[in-house]
Amino acid sequence: MIAENTQTQMRKGILEYCVLLIISRGEIYASDIIAELKQAKLLVVEGTLYPLLTRLKNNGLLSYNWQESTSGPPRKYYMLTEDGKAILNQLDTTWQELSYAINTSKKVADQESKESTKQTES
Amino acid sequence: MKKTHNINIGNSIIHIEEDAYEILTVYLNEVKQHFSKNADDFEIVTDIENRIAEMFAEKLFAQQKQVVNVEDVQSVIQQMGSVKDFETSEESAEEQIPTPEYNSIKKLYRDTDQAMVAGVCAGLGHYLDIDAKWVRLFTFLTTFIFGSGLLVYMIFWIMVPKAKTRIEKMEMRGEETNLKGFANSYLHPFAEQSRGFIAGLIQAIGEFLQGTGKVIFKIIVGSIVVFASFFLLGTIVALAAFLGFWNSDVHNYFPISMVNEEYLFPMTIAAFIVLIIPLLALILFSIRVGFNGRPINKVLSYGLLVIWLGGVVTGIYYIAKVSTEFKEGAEFAQTTPLKTYPVYSLNINMERFFTREDSLNYRIDPARYKGRKILNNRDDNFNNPRSISFRIEKSTDGKVSLSTNFKSRGKTFEVALKNAQNIHYDFLQEGATLSFSPVLHIPKMSNWRGQEVELTLSIPVGTEVQVSNEFYRYLRGYGYWDCEHEEGAEYSSWIMTDTGVKCKFEKVKKED
Repeated sequence: MIAENTQTQMRKGILEYCVLLIISRGEIYASDIIAELKQAKLLVVEGTLYPLLTRLKNNGLLSYNWQESTSGPPRKYYMLTEDGKAILNQLDTTWQELSYAINTSKKVADQESKESTKQTES
Repeated sequence: MKKTHNINIGNSIIHIEEDAYEILTVYLNEVKQHFSKNADDFEIVTDIENRIAEMFAEKLFAQQKQVVNVEDVQSVIQQMGSVKDFETSEESAEEQIPTPEYNSIKKLYRDTDQAMVAGVCAGLGHYLDIDAKWVRLFTFLTTFIFGSGLLVYMIFWIMVPKAKTRIEKMEMRGEETNLKGFANSYLHPFAEQSRGFIAGLIQAIGEFLQGTGKVIFKIIVGSIVVFASFFLLGTIVALAAFLGFWNSDVHNYFPISMVNEEYLFPMTIAAFIVLIIPLLALILFSIRVGFNGRPINKVLSYGLLVIWLGGVVTGIYYIAKVSTEFKEGAEFAQTTPLKTYPVYSLNINMERFFTREDSLNYRIDPARYKGRKILNNRDDNFNNPRSISFRIEKSTDGKVSLSTNFKSRGKTFEVALKNAQNIHYDFLQEGATLSFSPVLHIPKMSNWRGQEVELTLSIPVGTEVQVSNEFYRYLRGYGYWDCEHEEGAEYSSWIMTDTGVKCKFEKVKKED
């Protein structure tokens, strides 16, 4: 249960970060975001993305405009606002810090486990 | 072949098969319910719907078809993700408030799949979670309590809709109308078992009524319209005829002869209105029901109702007025002594006797009319009902006499007595033959006021009477069939005894 909860929290944070990253490359349509997220194996169903996009938009990180589509009604194309870009920069920094923290922790843990395996072997 | 729906989703029109539509409806309802906790639920759901529409359009284009089917919907839902998938990745997963499962609320429907008659009991069984057979037993037993069970059954039959769609059937069984429930219901289709013979019959009748029955129904309604129209026309013609023949003979016939002349016109009009308006209403209603005509103008229908009520009130007023003319009764008797004979013969004389008054009215010249008779052949019994009655009594003083009792009714005793005095009755004695008129006469243009003539013949013991066959109807208190008379004989013989009149030949046997 605790593991599940932690996983969800981690996924949630990273998902937001990834979505912002994808959008930062330019105007993009929701299902294209999903395609990328699927490729990254971060998201499996589309339905999850819409509440997230709406929330980010309401927080002023995203904006969208309507663009004509060849296969049906107009589509919402999302892009980052200035606020969004600022936040993304912050998140980049945070991610680097986090990744450093994790890498460091992992290294220590790896060394310890190697030592312990050596001890058991000897 | 499958039924399809047209849906407007994400501002595009999609043709979708019925079963696929049901699944999609349930899915979207779940999605809406899930996001209803979210402040931006409308926007999110709109986004999702738009995307679903787009996916449908892509699928239809890719497969070169026009209708979305179950597989398409299922694959779209898989791509979009179920509500469970949303929950796991939801930001506010911790603070989820369990919402009441409105889907699993049971609803009362008629279960026509397992019906014996109309599925009322089966539906109630589902609703109350009892086996349908107990409900049926209960209904059957309560039917014997003044038919209450049957009545309640009928009411439920009319009021409760039958479960038509899959969703309704699932609601009827209290199954959750979510995707899981749907999957279940597809795996275990609703059995159409135990369809009673009666249910089949009733369904057949229903189908018949909807098909050929409709034609028959229209024919019936059509003939009602035609007959009512004829009747309406007849009533109008009758009114015209009646008003045209105002001063003619009509007034002297029985039901009309009751009514005072001055009341006749308003009563006729009232009767006409009372008759014609329901006929008119029947015709208009039949046309409306049978041929989907437009409803009648409200002002017109209320106007007709008011006129009809006016007709009824007028009619009742005059009927009451006429009935007061019958309030008091009066009678007086006149006794005529007769010559004594050992045997009398009683006859009905159809000859019309003329009073002096009549002779003047008809301008009959007595000289020219000598030796001629006017035969009154009309069966006048109807004109003056129960007007003549005849009894035979024992004479106490040994003399033969005929007592004539004139009776009538009127507004006051004086009027009644006057009415009684105005009765003219013809009786003729020719030797031992007594001839009676079959009718009494009242003056022309006077009203029927229950005028009656009671004739009582008093004869001493031992006197014989030969009653002619025509006379029997007027004889009160003696059974015609008690006294067998000889075949072919025109009369039967009776004799006066100490205890009253007796048949002379008691039951003549067939052999002789």
